[in-house]
Amino acid sequence: MSSFVVKGLVLAGVLIVATLVVVKQMHIDLSDPVNMITFLGAIAIAVLSFGVAAKYMGQMKTDTATGELAEENWDGIGEYKNELPAGWAYSFLGTIIWAAWYWLAGYPLNAYSRIGEYNQEVKQYQQKFQEKWKNPSPETLKEMGESIFLVQCAPCHGETGDGLSGKAQDFTHRMSKEQVLAVLKGGQHQLKYPLGAMPPGLAQGKAAEEVAEYVANGLKGKAPAAWATCAGCHGQDGKGNGGSAPNLAEYDETLVQHVLKNGKTGIIGTMPSFVNRFTPVQEKALAAYLKTLKQ
Amino acid sequence: MQSSAALEYDYSVAKLYMWTTVIFGIVGMTIGVLIASQLAWPELNYLFGEYGTFSRLRPLHTNVVIYGFTVSGIMATFYYAAQRVLKVSLAELPFFNFLAKLDFVAYLFAAAAMVVSELMGITASKEYAQMEWPLDVAIVVYWVIWGIVMFGMIGARREKALYISMWYYIATFLGVAMLYVFNNMEVPTIFFSGGVGAWYHSVSMYAGTNDALVQWWWGHNAVAFVFTVPIIAMIYYFLPKESGQAVYSYKLSLLSFWGLMFVYLWAGGHHLLWSTVPDWMQTMGSVFSVVLILPSWGSAINMLLTMKGEWNQLTENPLIKFMILASTFYMLSTLEGPIQSVKSVNAIAHFTDWIPGHVHDGVLGWVAFMIFAAIMHMSTRVFKREIYSKSLLEAQFWIQTIGVVLYFTSMWIAGITQGMMWRAVDEYGNLMYSFIDTVSVLHPYYAIRAIGGLLYLIGMFMFAYNFIMTATAGRKLEQEPQFRSPMA
Amino acid sequence: MFHWLEKNPFLFAVGVFVVIAFAGLIEILPNFAEASRPVKGLKPYTVLELAGKEVYKKDNCIACHSQLIRPFKAETDRYGRYSLSGEYAYDRPFLWGSKRTGPDLHRVGNYRTPEWHANHMWDPKSVVPASIMPAYKHQFTNIADIATAYAEAVTVKKVFHTPYGDDIQPGKAAYEKYYKEKVLPEALKIAKAMKNKDVLDMVKQGKVPEIVALIAYLERLK
Ligand code: HEC
Ligand code: HEC
Ligand code: HEC
Ligand code: HEM
Ligand code: HEM
Ligand SMILES: [Ca+2]
Ligand SMILES: [Ca+2]
Ligand SMILES: [Cu+2]
Repeated sequence: MSSFVVKGLVLAGVLIVATLVVVKQMHIDLSDPVNMITFLGAIAIAVLSFGVAAKYMGQMKTDTATGELAEENWDGIGEYKNELPAGWAYSFLGTIIWAAWYWLAGYPLNAYSRIGEYNQEVKQYQQKFQEKWKNPSPETLKEMGESIFLVQCAPCHGETGDGLSGKAQDFTHRMSKEQVLAVLKGGQHQLKYPLGAMPPGLAQGKAAEEVAEYVANGLKGKAPAAWATCAGCHGQDGKGNGGSAPNLAEYDETLVQHVLKNGKTGIIGTMPSFVNRFTPVQEKALAAYLKTLKQ
Repeated sequence: MQSSAALEYDYSVAKLYMWTTVIFGIVGMTIGVLIASQLAWPELNYLFGEYGTFSRLRPLHTNVVIYGFTVSGIMATFYYAAQRVLKVSLAELPFFNFLAKLDFVAYLFAAAAMVVSELMGITASKEYAQMEWPLDVAIVVYWVIWGIVMFGMIGARREKALYISMWYYIATFLGVAMLYVFNNMEVPTIFFSGGVGAWYHSVSMYAGTNDALVQWWWGHNAVAFVFTVPIIAMIYYFLPKESGQAVYSYKLSLLSFWGLMFVYLWAGGHHLLWSTVPDWMQTMGSVFSVVLILPSWGSAINMLLTMKGEWNQLTENPLIKFMILASTFYMLSTLEGPIQSVKSVNAIAHFTDWIPGHVHDGVLGWVAFMIFAAIMHMSTRVFKREIYSKSLLEAQFWIQTIGVVLYFTSMWIAGITQGMMWRAVDEYGNLMYSFIDTVSVLHPYYAIRAIGGLLYLIGMFMFAYNFIMTATAGRKLEQEPQFRSPMA
Repeated sequence: MFHWLEKNPFLFAVGVFVVIAFAGLIEILPNFAEASRPVKGLKPYTVLELAGKEVYKKDNCIACHSQLIRPFKAETDRYGRYSLSGEYAYDRPFLWGSKRTGPDLHRVGNYRTPEWHANHMWDPKSVVPASIMPAYKHQFTNIADIATAYAEAVTVKKVFHTPYGDDIQPGKAAYEKYYKEKVLPEALKIAKAMKNKDVLDMVKQGKVPEIVALIAYLERLK
C-alpha cells in the first residue's frame, strides 16, 4: 500500500476511535441493531472516502498521463478517450443490478410497513422489560421513577422536584397552606376519586386556617377540631381512607395515578394530564420516587 | 486551435459577480460563525434584539451563502468560462450582453430584498425556499433571463460540440427552473381576502405530507443543481485549464453526467425517511441514493485521474491544491449522504448535527473551495494581473482545511452521540436521557465547530484581501497565461 | 460516440429535461390525493392559532424544532403517539423541520401549559437551567398580525375548501366583527392562563401580543 493510503486510513481510524470513545462514555449500547448499523456506516464512510481518495492521490505521484486524445479541444482543454476505470464501472453496474433486484425481489413492496415494525419493536421491548420488572423492589422502583421524572417532569417540577420556585408543585412538601385554603374555599373536582367532589366551604374562617396549617405541617401534632370533618373522607391519618380521597399526608401511588390520568388545575397552575403515557409500573415508580423527595 | 487569442472576451459581467461572490461570502460566513457560536454560547442571541436570534439568522446564513455566495460564484464562472468554451464573446452579442447586465442589477435588488425580508421575519418557513411570492416572481424572471442569455450564447457559438462544463450549466438552468416553480406554487392571500392582511403573504398550494414531498423534491435537488451540478461545471473547466492536463476520460464524463441527471432526482425521499410519506417512496429515496454514489464519484475520479503524474503541480500550485481537496470532499459528502440515506442510519442521523456536518463537508470542502480556486484563476485573466500573494493563498488553504476538519469531525461525533442518546434506555427500559442532557453534552462540540468556522472565516478574509489586491495592485501581465495562473 | 447530441444543444436540453422531470412525476404524483385527507375529527386552525403559526414561522422555530414523531419506541415514549399523515391536512406549509436542536413539538400541547410557555418563552433558563434556546421577549410586546391570519383563513376556505364557518368572509367589516367576537375572547382565555399581567392588560385593551397567538398555536399541537 502506498504511504498515502496508509495515511488516509489512519485519519479514518482516528475519527472512528474518537467517536467510539465519546459514545461509550454515554453508556450507549452498541449491540442495538440500529446503533450497530450506524456505526458500521460511519466506518464505511471514513475508510472508503479517505482510502479511495488517497489511492488516486498516490497515482499522482507514480503514474503518468497517457491515452489517445480526442480531436476536440475547448479553450486549450483536451480530452482523452480513455476507458472507464474498471472498479468504478463494475461498482456502478453492481449498484444498478442491486437496485433492480431490490425493487423486483428484495423489497417487500406489500408486506413491509413501518408501523408494523414499530409494533414489533414495542412488543420486543415488553418481552424484555415488562417481564423482568414485574415485581420490582422498592429500590428499583425509586431509581426507575427518578429516570422517568428527569425526562418527563423536571421541566416543570425542576430537577430536584422543588417546583422551580413556585412554578409547579413542590415535592419536598405535600401541600402548602395556601393550596389547602384554596381547596377549602372553592372545593375541588378534578382528580376523579371514588368519593367524587370535595364540596366547598367544609371549613371556614379560623377553623379553615387551623386545619390548613395542620395539613401543611404534615399532619403533625394535635389535630384541630375541624379535622374531624376531613377525616371522614381523608381518613384520621389523612392518608386518603384507602384510596377514597386524596392522601393529604404524602404522595402515594393512588394520588400520582389520579393526577397523571386527569391532570389538575390549582392555585399554582395547571398540571397536564399524562393519560396513556405510562405503564402501571412506571406510575408506581414515579410515586415511589416522589415519596423520597420529602424533606 | 489558438484562434481564441484573436477573440477579445468581455468579462464585465463576470467581474461584477466575482465581487458579489466575495462580499456575500464574507457576510454569509460571518453569520455562520455567529450562529455556530450562539449554539455554544447562547448569550450571543441578544446582540441585535429580535433580529439577532439564532432562528432569525439561520435562514439568513443559508440564503446568503446559497443565493448570494454560491450563485454569484456560479454566474461569475459561467460568464467567464462559457464564452471561452463556446468561443464566442459577449462583446459580439450586444443584446445578450445588455440582458446579462440588466440581470445582474435584478440580482442585486432581489438579494437585497431577500436579506431584508429574512431579517424582518417575512418567510414561508420552508428550508431553502423562504422567499414570499413577490420575490419568487423576481427570481423566476432573473433565472429566465439568465437562460435566454445562455442559449443566446450557445446559438452564436463557434465550437460546435458543447464542452462538459456547458452540459452542467444547462442542467443547472433547467433543474432549478423546474423545481423552483413547482415548489413555490402558492396562493397570495391578498387576492382573496378583500384587502385584509399583508400583501406579500401567501399559502402553499400543497398541504402536510404533500407539501413535504414537493419541498424535499426541491430541497434535495437544490443541493443537486446549486451545490453539485454547477460546481462540477467549474471543476471540469478550471482544473484541466489550470493544470494544462487533458480530461482523463470522455466516457467517464459522459456516464457520470447522464447517470447523475437520471438518478439525482429520485433520491429526494431520503429527507423524509420514517416520516408519513408512503414506505415505497422512502425506500425509493434510499435505493437511488446508494446508486448515486457512482455517478457522483465518477466526476471526482475523473478529475483526480486528470492530475495523474502531476504530483509536482499539487505541491507547487495552491489553486490545484484547492481543487484536489474539493474533489476529495466531494467524494466524502457523496458517500456520507448515501450512507445517511440507509434507513437504519437515518434513524440516528436525521434531526442531529451529523446532517449539518455532512452539509458542510460539501459546502465548505467542495463548493467554497472550488469557488475560491475558480475566482483566483479568473482574476489573473479578467484583471490581467498576477495573483497578489501565493503565500497568502497557501496559508488560506491550510487554515481553511483545518477549519473544515474541525467542523466535520466535531459535528460527526456530536450527531452520532446525540442520535444514540435519544434512543438510549436504561436498565429498566426507560429513556436514559432527558432532552436537555442530550443538548448539554454537545457544548464542547459546538465550541469546536465555532472555532473551526472562525478559522474558515479568517481564511475567507485572507482570500478577500488577496482578491482585492490582485484586482488593484497585482503585477500587470503582458499576455494572458495559457494554463497555470501566475502568482507572486 | 455521443457527440451528435452535444452538437445539438436544443435536443441536449430537451434530453436533460425529460430525464430530470420524469423522476419528479413518479415521485410526487401518486401520493397527492391520499395524503391530503384529514384524520377524523381534525379541525382547521382557528384564526388566533393561524396567527400563532405565523409567529412560529416569523421567528423561525423550525430552525431548531421538528414536528414529526417517528414510529420508534424511544420517540413515542418521549413525545407521545407517532405522527399520522392526516394530522397535517391543514398544514400549509408543513412544519416538520429537519433539525432537532430542541425537542419535537408535534404534541407539545399535551404536556405543557400556557403558563409554562409564558415562562419559557420569556426566559428558557428559568424553567430549564441548561437551555440554549434564545429568549423571545419581543413576542410579549409585538402585536400579532391577526389580519393576515384571517386573510389566510379566507383564502384556504375559498381555494381549498377548508371547512371554516360562514363567519369567515372577505372584507374589512367581516374581519373586524370576527376579531371582536371570536379572536379576542379566545386570546383572553390564553392570556389569563399565562398569568402575565402586562399581557392580560394588552388583551383587555383589544390588542393581541404575538406570544398569546403563539401559545394558542402551541397548545393546539396535540
Ligand atoms: C366529602 C368528602 C370529603 C371531605 C369531607 C373532605 N374532602 Fe378533601 N377531598 C375529597 C375529594 C373526593 C377530593 C379530590 C377532589 C378532586 O377530584 O379533585 C379532595 C381533595 C382535597 C384536597 C386537594 C388534594 C390534591 O392533591 O389536590 C385537599 C387539600 C383537601 N381535600 C383537603 C380537605 C380538608 C382540609 C378537609 C376538611 C376540612 C376535606 N378535604 C374534607 C373529599 C373530601
Ligand atoms: C407543564 C408542567 C408540568 C409537568 C410537565 C408536570 N407537572 Fe405535575 N404539576 C404541575 C403544576 C403546575 C402542578 C400544581 C397544580 C396545582 O396548582 O395544584 C403540578 C402538580 C403535581 C402533583 C400534585 C398534584 C396534587 O393535587 O397534589 C403531582 C403528584 C404531580 N404534579 C406529578 C407530576 C408528575 C409525576 C409529572 C411527570 C410525569 C408531572 N407532574 C409533570 C405542572 C407540571
Ligand atoms: C437555538 C435553538 C432554539 C430555537 C431557535 C428555539 N428553540 Fe425551543 N428549545 C430549544 C431547546 C434546546 C429546548 C430544550 C430545552 C428547553 O426546554 O429550553 C427547547 C424547548 C422548547 C419547548 C419545550 C418543549 C419540551 O418538550 O420541553 C418549546 C415549547 C419550545 N422550545 C418552543 C420554541 C418556539 C415556539 C420557538 C420559536 C419562537 C423556539 N422554541 C425556538 C432550542 C430552541
Ligand atoms: C464560516 C463558515 C460557516 C460556518 C461556521 C457555518 C455554520 C453553520 C451553522 C451553525 C449552521 C446551522 C446548523 C444547525 O442548525 O445546527 C449552518 C447551516 C447551514 N450552512 Fe453553514 N456555515 C458556514 C459556511 C457555509 C457555507 C460557505 C455554506 C454554503 C455554501 C453553508 C451552507 C449551510 C447550509 C445549507 C446550512 C443548512 C444545513 C441544514 O439545514 O441541515 N454554510 N451553517
Ligand atoms: C450522493 C450524494 C448525496 C446523497 C445521497 C445525500 C444524502 C443526504 C441525506 C440522507 C441527507 C439528510 C437528510 C436528513 O436526514 O435530514 C442530506 C442532507 C443534506 N445534504 Fe446531502 N447527500 C448527497 C450529497 C450532498 C452534497 C454534495 C451536498 C452539498 C454540497 C449535500 C448537501 C446537503 C444539504 C444542504 C443537506 C441538508 C438538508 C436539510 O436542510 O435538511 N449533499 N443529504
Ligand atoms: Ca416562495
Ligand atoms: Ca435543514
Ligand atoms: Cu438530499
